[in-house]
Amino acid sequence: MKKLSKKTLNKSFLSWFYGNLTCFSQEHMQTFGYLCAMLPVVESLYETKEEQKEAMETYTAFFNTEPQIGALVVGMTAGLEEAKANGQAIDGEAINGIRAGLMGPLAGIGDSMIVGTLIPILLGIGLGLSSGGNPLGAIFYIVVWNLLMWFGMRFVYFKGYDLGGKAVEVLVGEQAQAIRESIIMIGTIVIGAVAASWININTSLVLPGGGELQKTLNGIYPKMLSALAVVFCWWLMTKKNISPTMVMLLLVFVAFVGVLIGFFDPGLSY
Amino acid sequence: MEINALQATLLGICACLSSMPGLGGTTFGNYTLGRPLVAGLVVGLILGDVQTGIIIGAAIQVIYIALVTPGGTVSADVRAVSYIGIPLAICAVKGMGLDPSTTQAQAMAAALGAAVGTLGTVLFYGTATMNLIWQHIGWKAVERGDFGKLYLVDMGLPWISHILFSFMPTFIIAMAGAGMVDVMKAYLPMDGIAMKTLFTVGSLLPAVGVAILLKQVVKKPLDFITFFFGFTLAACLGMNLIASAIIGSFFAVINYKIIMVQTRRAAASAPTPDDDDEEDI
Repeated sequence: MKKLSKKTLNKSFLSWFYGNLTCFSQEHMQTFGYLCAMLPVVESLYETKEEQKEAMETYTAFFNTEPQIGALVVGMTAGLEEAKANGQAIDGEAINGIRAGLMGPLAGIGDSMIVGTLIPILLGIGLGLSSGGNPLGAIFYIVVWNLLMWFGMRFVYFKGYDLGGKAVEVLVGEQAQAIRESIIMIGTIVIGAVAASWININTSLVLPGGGELQKTLNGIYPKMLSALAVVFCWWLMTKKNISPTMVMLLLVFVAFVGVLIGFFDPGLSY
Repeated sequence: MEINALQATLLGICACLSSMPGLGGTTFGNYTLGRPLVAGLVVGLILGDVQTGIIIGAAIQVIYIALVTPGGTVSADVRAVSYIGIPLAICAVKGMGLDPSTTQAQAMAAALGAAVGTLGTVLFYGTATMNLIWQHIGWKAVERGDFGKLYLVDMGLPWISHILFSFMPTFIIAMAGAGMVDVMKAYLPMDGIAMKTLFTVGSLLPAVGVAILLKQVVKKPLDFITFFFGFTLAACLGMNLIASAIIGSFFAVINYKIIMVQTRRAAASAPTPDDDDEEDI
């Protein structure tokens, strides 16, 4: 009965933690990171070069997902490879099927939860701590983010190894989904606060009666122009399918016209 | 403000570590060193002005608060934003004699950072394309069973791609940065259309960053309520981000409990449809 040692699994995890995207190309993305992570596992499970070559062949297939939550898949395949080496009814093709089936859903969860929610919440708090040029915000982000990811990725890697195919339930079960939805709620509220604190769009337009338009707008809803700009950009990207780069270019045009008609005026001189 | 060769070298190394497929790894390279907030601290330390670095980095961070790269498509390059954009913005703000803590200085930083970040996508595609050469070496090694080479291919050889596409551009632009600001000052008066537009664009750009993030969570107009709840907390009640996060967490806990009650009720009522029928009678 072959059993992967803790040392081998640690080596495999470290390879993935560091090297998942270091040799990125549009064609193979995370494939080489995956090969490096599986190498210690394969070398310790199989004696002969021929067996090792055959086992590594499995992992030459294209792989790409959100790499941090993707540690789960690497851990799972380490467990499955161990089962295969012990003669259980599983082959390389089955392992690849599981891998390919998980890539997409995990990328969706990882992109929305980690990149789209956790990072913005941490950055939002970091921004809040940075006022006046205080380095505390950046330090907060560096420490909290790296600790969360180091322990989080270790957790999902070893969970994947222990549970094999059942590990997916941890991420897609009903309770997990309720937690996800609730965390996204925190993220959206924090982003609202970030938008209100950090977007400063003001008009310099003077109304015909002599009053300032900005003051009138503030009386209706403070930071109204900032809120409208966000909704406008969202509308362009979601409903009109315009890319972020094109939206930025469009804003250059909006700014130019706005300056020409006197709607915007930063009011500066050297 | 001058950037000397040593400072430019350090900025170049940070660029190699932090880019999207960066050599600092995903977690510490891309998602830590590559974030403009962190880069503001790092660049500030390198250039000897932490306070300005942080203020500029934070201003640019808002635009890139959610830089998601689904399937490897990028709309901005983090190494360019963080280690070319931030040093240039610091030079520009200081060169023009702006107070970094003003919204105008931050708007200028945002506009410069976004312009550099968008042009910088060239560096992303350059690195990724050059890595194909190393991967070719890697496939040969796998065929031969020479597995030890895999580490060299994955973690060693990409340094060559990064020296060409991360280090060199960062080094050269950082060295030329101070001169660029003088040219801007000479030809573009602050009260002219071009500079006014630049400052205005900078004030509009953070809206794009926030909208990119909302694109994922807001599918229909009603979903905006959650966003405007947070917006109102800060805009009307003057709450800071930590206070808003705490209030957000409170509502998230309530939301979680409601969903769990709903699922339990659905699970409890599902297997006993007969009971309902009897009650009806």
